[in-house]
Amino acid sequence: MPTYNLNINGQSYPVTVANGEMPLLWVLRDHLGMTGTKYGCGIEVCGACTVLVNGQPERSCDMSVQEASGRKIMTVEGLATDPQGKLAQAAWVEHQVPQCGYCQSGMLMSTVGAMKAGHRGGEIAGELGNVCVCGTYARIKDAIKTL
Amino acid sequence: MQNSNTSVAPRKVGRRGFIGGTAAALMVPFAITLGGRTAQAVVPGSGIVGAYVKIDSSNIVTVVLGSTEMGQGILTGLAQLVAEELNLNWDQVRAEHAPASTASPNPYGNPLFGAQLTGGSTSTRGWYAPLRMAAAIARETLIAAANKKFGGTWSLGQGGTLVNGGQTANFADVVKVAARMKPPTSATLATTTRFIGKRMNRLDIPAKVDGSAVFGIDVQVPGMKFGAVCHCPTIGGTVKTMPAGRSGVTLVNLGKAVGVIADDTWTAMQVARSITNSVIWTLPTDLDAVDSTALAANAKALTESTTVATFVAVDVGSPKIGAKQKSIDVTYELPFLAHATMEVMNCTASVTADSVEIWVPTQGQQFITGLASTLTGVPAANITVHTTFLGGGLGRKFETDYVAQAINMSKAAGVPVKLTWSREQDFGNDFYRPYAQIRVKAALNNKGKLSDLIYRNVSASINVQRGYSSSNNPEDTGALSGAVDLPYTIPSRRVEFIPLVPCDIPLGYWRSVGESYNTFAVECAIDEMATLAGADPLQFRKDMLSGPNGNTRAMGVLKAVEKLSNWSSPPGNGTARGVAFMSGFGSYIAMVAEVSKSSSGKLTIGKMFCAIDCGVAVNPGSIEAQIQGGITHGMSATLWGQMTFIKGKPQTQNFNTYPMLKLGQMPTIGIKIVNSDAAPGGVGETGVPCVAPSIANAWAKLTGNRQRSLPFYPGTRMGEM
Repeated sequence: MPTYNLNINGQSYPVTVANGEMPLLWVLRDHLGMTGTKYGCGIEVCGACTVLVNGQPERSCDMSVQEASGRKIMTVEGLATDPQGKLAQAAWVEHQVPQCGYCQSGMLMSTVGAMKAGHRGGEIAGELGNVCVCGTYARIKDAIKTL
Repeated sequence: MQNSNTSVAPRKVGRRGFIGGTAAALMVPFAITLGGRTAQAVVPGSGIVGAYVKIDSSNIVTVVLGSTEMGQGILTGLAQLVAEELNLNWDQVRAEHAPASTASPNPYGNPLFGAQLTGGSTSTRGWYAPLRMAAAIARETLIAAANKKFGGTWSLGQGGTLVNGGQTANFADVVKVAARMKPPTSATLATTTRFIGKRMNRLDIPAKVDGSAVFGIDVQVPGMKFGAVCHCPTIGGTVKTMPAGRSGVTLVNLGKAVGVIADDTWTAMQVARSITNSVIWTLPTDLDAVDSTALAANAKALTESTTVATFVAVDVGSPKIGAKQKSIDVTYELPFLAHATMEVMNCTASVTADSVEIWVPTQGQQFITGLASTLTGVPAANITVHTTFLGGGLGRKFETDYVAQAINMSKAAGVPVKLTWSREQDFGNDFYRPYAQIRVKAALNNKGKLSDLIYRNVSASINVQRGYSSSNNPEDTGALSGAVDLPYTIPSRRVEFIPLVPCDIPLGYWRSVGESYNTFAVECAIDEMATLAGADPLQFRKDMLSGPNGNTRAMGVLKAVEKLSNWSSPPGNGTARGVAFMSGFGSYIAMVAEVSKSSSGKLTIGKMFCAIDCGVAVNPGSIEAQIQGGITHGMSATLWGQMTFIKGKPQTQNFNTYPMLKLGQMPTIGIKIVNSDAAPGGVGETGVPCVAPSIANAWAKLTGNRQRSLPFYPGTRMGEM
């Protein structure tokens, strides 16, 4: 079984999986116990599984572990130690964004990715294609205006 | 970032040991009496007595709640009630889900109906008075305990303290004495408003921005394997023969599905997908009963039938439609809908010979212990059910199909199993919002007022399908809710129900239940009558609410939304407004939609306005969030929501063909919470029903085209407008 070295939130994690095609999502969740990244659709549509790979938002349901290996991965668990991540989390709390909260990891990762790409305030909205069934969008709009 | 401010079982136990979760504190159980009901609950397996309020050695007060947190903010709202009565500081307050209790009466059962269930916008309604009383009794017992322990005359301080002259004690100092005392049977409620009516920050939000909140799908227990399922692709089919497992993969016959157990979820889902064609299924015989086109044809015949037996829920004034009266005879049609909760169905079960432990995102704790006992033979006393956070419930997580599967898989495999459905399995094996055709015949009198209304609801019936009512007396309050108790004055009115049978598409409770289709028909029909009368549709409604039997709360929300939407001023060229009203779930709500046409001629919803009177507004911030969410959810359904079935096969498998509103498609939303000192009403369901009719009414005003069938744009893909 192949072993991959994953760099997640600045730490190194060797993982041995049966198949290098296994999506990063399931390696994070089932093999590393990092469950903040969520399964939503498995077809890159809903965005619940969004992580940053080399600073860019990627759907982890469709990125294989072998593809992720050797790149810098950031998950929701790493936001608290990231400058933009911290700001986004604080804005989410200030504006009381989450309802059920299930999509919010992905929503935050997409937001932080947009911030890292240089987007500010309302521009970030254009980068957020994530689905929230609870309908927290009104508050997300308010929160990102402050970023 | 602060860690979870909400303690929710279970803690994460990863392969690397404990991850996240709050440090275990010694929780001193503090049993209190609630009215005539016992408030003492034996926490299964723990041997300790639990109750509604726990106070630990560091003066943290944990409120233990029978209601499920699925995004509506109920843990926070109910904790506010306790904080008020105990004069706490917000940073010492925690809330957690109660275990599923098998006591009778169930101390965690909603006082409105006794069972430990969350739905129908009943949590605040049910718990507002009893939980305040329970907390007030706890307060008086703590004071009495201080008097006993220290002597003197103590009173309540702030922040979990008791005071006597210059002396101060913490609750924690007296809680052991208090736990041994006989509490009073009632106490005076607080008159302060430090928490009730205030926008307290939600207790669960910190954990929902740092990944530490534990949803069902996140549960990890030592030695756990990962499961997936493959249901028969034809609804109602059962396993006839199935392939054998292979190394590292166990297959389990679950009746309507094959369970797959593997070392990770991805492998389990891959195998589940691959065996679909190698399992031989026994298919249902009546495929027309699981075919939406065939069902629609049957429904149409029933709307027109003059011979079929109907259940008549309202019959006043012998309504009739005179040939010379201005009248309508129209049929509204609403589709089956999926719940599509963001978190798919999942459950973790650990079954041994003599114990069962279950971690599950559920709205239906009441059902689970008995189910587990039946499936395993383990007595209820040895069964523990933990409620996790829910990644959305919407009514789907009342059901126990996925719980039974996890139990059976763990039992078969002899190890703990976390079952996670794929999104495709989730869409294809839902309990769908019933399909409905609603025929409305209505007439104006010679004064231009709505005088006669004949309302016939033909819909797939949850109650009939589940055997809750007999077919010759299909009294189905769910199917007609939103059509029976109208505050409008309509002199002659008949409301009939005809269950659409046979229908073997599984049916369930979808956010806003019967109101999700009846309010559409009622409020569109009233708009059509206003148009026929040449009346302003908002004034037309107000006129039906005035007079000696006028309903001031209904009138109040209509007037509030009239003002909020600037109704009396024209909205501008190419834009039109529509209004809708509903009373239900203990609340009154009115909405105005402002719509225009896109360059391609499609409906564009620019603004939504809402006024709600939900009685005492415990947390206005949470109420606004529920309305924003209700509007979003309602808009997705109005524009695109539809499940169709061809000979038992669901035609939607994933979000790509089941669009949900996205950020860029959101209208501006204005919300007014009408001041009210009435008893609290519901808000979770309440935000949905007026969305579709207000939009359809605005569209009719704008274009002259009356959309009587939902959704507006069937067949749209995610992200298209």
